[in-house]
Amino acid sequence: MSEQRHVTIVMIEDDDGHARLIERNIRRAGISNEIRHFADGASALHYLENDNTGPALNGPALVLLDLNLPDMSGIDILARVKSNDRLKRTPVVVLTTTDDKVEIQRCYDLGCNVYITKPVNYESFADAIRQLGLFLSVIQVPEVEGNG
Amino acid sequence: MTADATRLQIRSERLFNGLVVGIVVAGFLTLVGVAGYGLYVMGQNVTFTRWVSHTYEVEGAISDFLILDERTETARRGYLLSHDEVFAQSAARTSQRAARALDRIGALTPDNPAQQAFLARMRPLFAQQQQAVIVSMAFARAGHSDSSQFYHDSGVEATRLIRRLAEQMTEEETRLLRLRNAAQEAALDQLLWIAVAGGVLLVFVATGSTLVILRYTRQLNRSQRELAQLNAGLEDQVATRTADLQRANEEIQRFAYIVSHDLRSPLVNVMGFTSELEAAAKPLGVLLERAEAEAPQIVSEDARAAVRTDLPESIGFIRTSTQKMDRLINAILQLSRQGRRVLTPEPVDMVRVAQGIADNLKHRSQELGAEIEIAPDLPVVISDRLALEQIFSNLVENALKYLKPGRPGRIAVTGQHQGGRMVYEVRDNGRGIDPKDHDRVFDLFRRAGLQDQPGEGIGLAHVRALAYRLGGTVTCQSALDQGATFRVSLPARLSIQGSAS
Repeated sequence: MSEQRHVTIVMIEDDDGHARLIERNIRRAGISNEIRHFADGASALHYLENDNTGPALNGPALVLLDLNLPDMSGIDILARVKSNDRLKRTPVVVLTTTDDKVEIQRCYDLGCNVYITKPVNYESFADAIRQLGLFLSVIQVPEVEGNG
Repeated sequence: MTADATRLQIRSERLFNGLVVGIVVAGFLTLVGVAGYGLYVMGQNVTFTRWVSHTYEVEGAISDFLILDERTETARRGYLLSHDEVFAQSAARTSQRAARALDRIGALTPDNPAQQAFLARMRPLFAQQQQAVIVSMAFARAGHSDSSQFYHDSGVEATRLIRRLAEQMTEEETRLLRLRNAAQEAALDQLLWIAVAGGVLLVFVATGSTLVILRYTRQLNRSQRELAQLNAGLEDQVATRTADLQRANEEIQRFAYIVSHDLRSPLVNVMGFTSELEAAAKPLGVLLERAEAEAPQIVSEDARAAVRTDLPESIGFIRTSTQKMDRLINAILQLSRQGRRVLTPEPVDMVRVAQGIADNLKHRSQELGAEIEIAPDLPVVISDRLALEQIFSNLVENALKYLKPGRPGRIAVTGQHQGGRMVYEVRDNGRGIDPKDHDRVFDLFRRAGLQDQPGEGIGLAHVRALAYRLGGTVTCQSALDQGATFRVSLPARLSIQGSAS
């Protein structure tokens, strides 16, 4: 667990309520990693690619991605992340309300690591997030190469 | 073209048509007239021929008589010269034959007063001559051989007169023949003229008819061309409208998808924070209990009601409402997803589809004591299998759901080919649907009758949406307590151009 402590969870989620619920449930699962929340795609991308504390320059990180964003589609962010040499190994968990088969396939095709549909039923939702937390606690995140 | 012009054209066309019919009728009448007259003239000709042969017969009879008469006279003279009895016998014989010939002339010309008059003059002359023959020969037989007496004999004169009379009679016949000939020639001339006139008229009629036919053919060709153009225009229009409709349909699908999708996000929050509230209420309840136990004086009635009843009740209502909203949104999502699915037409064995549905519902139908009957002759349709399965399973499920309690359920699936379309029916003997609700039951979230069964009013809306997508229709025939029949009419072959990608 201590190894994962410095892995930053980058949460890209335009709905503050969802963000709060996700954060609470992750915490309830016992995950205490830093969670950076971005409500729009542009600032999230900037953090991921250019921020000094961001995963591209300082890693490692895990991305929680919502597909419905006000300024761009989460799919575009996913494509950008997976086509970036420094970011492509960063795990991306798509966490969204869309359960369209085609959409899910597209995300996996683009290199998404896990796709989770947000259940409307809150118990299921909380459950899913907590399980995600457990998952995050065992997942091994690669170090960014050329870290400096 | 204005209405007036159209009316004028119609009137002129009617006039023209009348004229055409008139001309043709006139042509035919002319033909019939000419033919009739020809027949008449031919009949005349036959009569005339008979009359001609009659004339020749009469003339023959006259000349026979004359020859026999002359021979009698010759035989008399022979006897008077030679006193040979052979001449006497010959005279007697020819005399008899001449008398018969004279009678024959009389028999041949009973209707000719001129000939009868001649005959009336002929008979005494003949008798006189015969008398002279008999007398002179008897005289000679008695031994008188004075030939001078012969010259004063009245027989010679009578013979001359007979000869002249006979010539006159022959002339009379010839005159009659001439008259008849002239009449016949006149009739033939007339026939010729009439035939020529009829021919000319026929040529006119034929020319007129040809012109009319040509004009009609041209008009017909023009109309056909116009029709073809119009048809092409119509097809274009249909194609444009279809494209418009498809666009509109896709728009609605997208709209439904986005709306239902975006509605889910706030719903997650509502439900999530409701749960958080519920969780937060728990420590409050504990706190209240502790306060009641340790310092009852600080617990007001309001606080107790708020924590014990108002809060849980409110949370309960929020929860059930959001759950219902979630189901509705899911239904819309499902519908819009169905609308986006690509249809793949294939030959579908409807008996197998229906049997599969019945097997899937076997457990429930046995529980309800209902029977599902599938006609073995359901026609095969070329359409989308999944959509068909969805349609019929919804219909059969509905039939099972709304059976009349206390009446053993019977559900029948039948089908037949009806002119390019396949019509399937799902009939039940259940509680039925009030006719005023027949349209309503197909609307999304609308239900009819007693609300004693779970459901959101989605099944039939789904059925109708799917039927429309397959180019078909679905209708309902039912009355309360009379069971219901849902009739699905589908094109025998689904064309895929209507499916959205």
